[in-house]
Amino acid sequence: MKRTFPKHYPTSINAVVVSRAERDLPVQSYIPEVVRGVGVSMKHFFINLRDMLQQNRPDPVTERLDPGISTISYPEQKRPYPDRFRGLHRLTTRADGSPRCVACFCCSTACPAQCIFIEAGEYADGDKRRGYEKYPVKFVIDELRCIFCGFCVEACPCDAIRMDTGMHAVPYDSRDQFIYPKDTLLKFTDRAGKTQTENPRHEPGDASHPGVNREHPHY
Amino acid sequence: MPMFKLDGVDIPFEPGETLISAAAKKGIEIPHYCWHPGLSAPANCRMCLVEILPKPGMRPLMLDVLELDSKTGEYKPAQKPKLVPACQFPAAEGLEVKADTSPHVVQARKAVQESLLLNHPVDCPICDQSGECKLQDYWLEHGKFSKRLRDEPVHKPKAVVFGPTMVYDAERCVLCTRCIRVMGEIAKDPVLGMRERGNLNEISVAPGRQLDGHYTLMTEHVCPVGALTSQDFRFKARVWFLRTASSVCQGCATGCNAHLDYDPRYNKAFRYRPRENHAVNKYWMCDEGMLSYRQAHEGRITEARVNGKTSTVPAALEAAAKLFEGGARASIAVVFSAQHSLEDNWALAELANTFGTTLRFWSGKGDGDQDAILRHADKNPNTAGVRGLVPEAKPLSALLEAVQSGTVHHVLALGGMTAEAIIPAGIKLITVAAHDGSLAQAATVLLPATSWAEQSGTYVTAKGVRQVSEKALEPLGASRPAWEQLAALGKALGVEVSWTKLRAIRSQLTASLSEQAPLAS
Repeated sequence: MKRTFPKHYPTSINAVVVSRAERDLPVQSYIPEVVRGVGVSMKHFFINLRDMLQQNRPDPVTERLDPGISTISYPEQKRPYPDRFRGLHRLTTRADGSPRCVACFCCSTACPAQCIFIEAGEYADGDKRRGYEKYPVKFVIDELRCIFCGFCVEACPCDAIRMDTGMHAVPYDSRDQFIYPKDTLLKFTDRAGKTQTENPRHEPGDASHPGVNREHPHY
Repeated sequence: MPMFKLDGVDIPFEPGETLISAAAKKGIEIPHYCWHPGLSAPANCRMCLVEILPKPGMRPLMLDVLELDSKTGEYKPAQKPKLVPACQFPAAEGLEVKADTSPHVVQARKAVQESLLLNHPVDCPICDQSGECKLQDYWLEHGKFSKRLRDEPVHKPKAVVFGPTMVYDAERCVLCTRCIRVMGEIAKDPVLGMRERGNLNEISVAPGRQLDGHYTLMTEHVCPVGALTSQDFRFKARVWFLRTASSVCQGCATGCNAHLDYDPRYNKAFRYRPRENHAVNKYWMCDEGMLSYRQAHEGRITEARVNGKTSTVPAALEAAAKLFEGGARASIAVVFSAQHSLEDNWALAELANTFGTTLRFWSGKGDGDQDAILRHADKNPNTAGVRGLVPEAKPLSALLEAVQSGTVHHVLALGGMTAEAIIPAGIKLITVAAHDGSLAQAATVLLPATSWAEQSGTYVTAKGVRQVSEKALEPLGASRPAWEQLAALGKALGVEVSWTKLRAIRSQLTASLSEQAPLAS
């Protein structure tokens, strides 16, 4: 269907006509309106005081849609975030504490805000993962640029980046504090306090992986 | 020219040419792994199978096969035509070939893809070929199947170090033998071979040897998958972030055509890839050349220097004017550079003409190794160009003698790198250079010039082929193209310069070159 835009402004079907107050002495002196405004505040004050004394004050965290106070004492009290809330990123770890990230750049490719910087490197000589894998020497997320779309999480082939920390970026006093390096991201946990993920994976170098060298061919 | 038909399209061919190569020249790609236009055709990947229609009145060659009936789940006898590899089948007049239009060919391609991917580790995230991999491309084009193998795939050696430049991953290898052939046929050093059979088949280096020599990076270049990766480019960048400029290798006088891949976000060059040019380098480049992209960043002069101290360009120009204040303009010696483009040298020649000086010399890197394949002994990209532009120029050693005998005091030089290591102290030397070297070290005033990667320039190969290299990077630091620095220098010295744009130089350059006799090889 072809969409057309209205040629005229909508009629006043849904509009409420507000009568404008005349600029007479009571209005211009503001006094009656101030008294009325203070009256509203005092009404809520006494209702809250009564609820507090009677201890029947509804919990604003869980029952915020109920009539009553919708103010909470943040940050001591916090509203519960939904399970799939996309919070700050974290980098998941393997059992040995190394990052699962293999520096494939899929997240930084998918990122529409271009907030992920990665520098890839190779495990050092003698490391059991030497040669098989890359790892991120640097992994930096600019949380100010991030738009929390979650594309990085979807793009990751290794389940190495997640946004399940349940945290949001707290205000800092300078911008560079929003730039999270690898170590910070690796320290973040999910809401249960774990740095790993439930998804199993076996990679070259892990004990669960069949041999992949000429000494132990896999027949 | 004789013609054959591929999917109804007339394709001209030269007698003896194969189907795939004639189609490639026409711009039609028949999918392939093992075929490379510069190598022999072993027809071992079976990706380029095509159907040849029988001549009118002839019976087609049919094979008896069993076909799975998906409805009943049972095999029933059927017939299919015998397919032929297009990379080995010579084209013939009036031949009718079916590729994309034949259901048998489509089915065969899909089956070949599935076979090649059967034990593939699918580690694209950590594979450097990812993004320019034929397995990825053809999977999208010719068979978007999911894996039917439910067992653990066969594992083979990964990250085997083949030599100082190459790492091999047997799991990713499709065993097309291109690397074996490139070492045998192009590098004339058959150091690679195959070992084992079937599932365990892999490429290996000859016992007691490692993959070394001057053409090892060509194995990575021809590898259609991520089996061979170069130690230099390994894990440095993802190819889809790179942009490409058509460049000319600066390593020697052969002037191989190359793609310079760079990341515009960081203004950094990452690698060279050979660019096809049958007049110069065909499909190949040597290792030194392939790694010479680093010269865009290594040993560069990016700031002006006055008496060895870093300075701004305006301050350096002022110092240059003061330095040349006393002497007569006509007594300024001018040094051309075989390391710089024709445009840069032309600007210097123009400046020398305005000075009215006849003291003209030329410098360049010293000679090096050579071979009969590509590497030239002359390690300068533009010797023939400079010699053609200023045939009267004498070698730099003549200037050094003149300086030592005290006849020359003022020198204006282009290019820092020279074969001569020591420049006598006490001369008033202004150098415009992109790279560090003895002329840059000895300079009283040094102006930073851009390298070939940061400007468009013309270079003449030893065989006299004039080639243009495109601009890739933005100028590093305070560097500007040498012709621009020379114009600024001319203004600072109080002479009028006639050029302000590259286009103006190019048009005058073409005019002055056409007056000359053809360049000797």
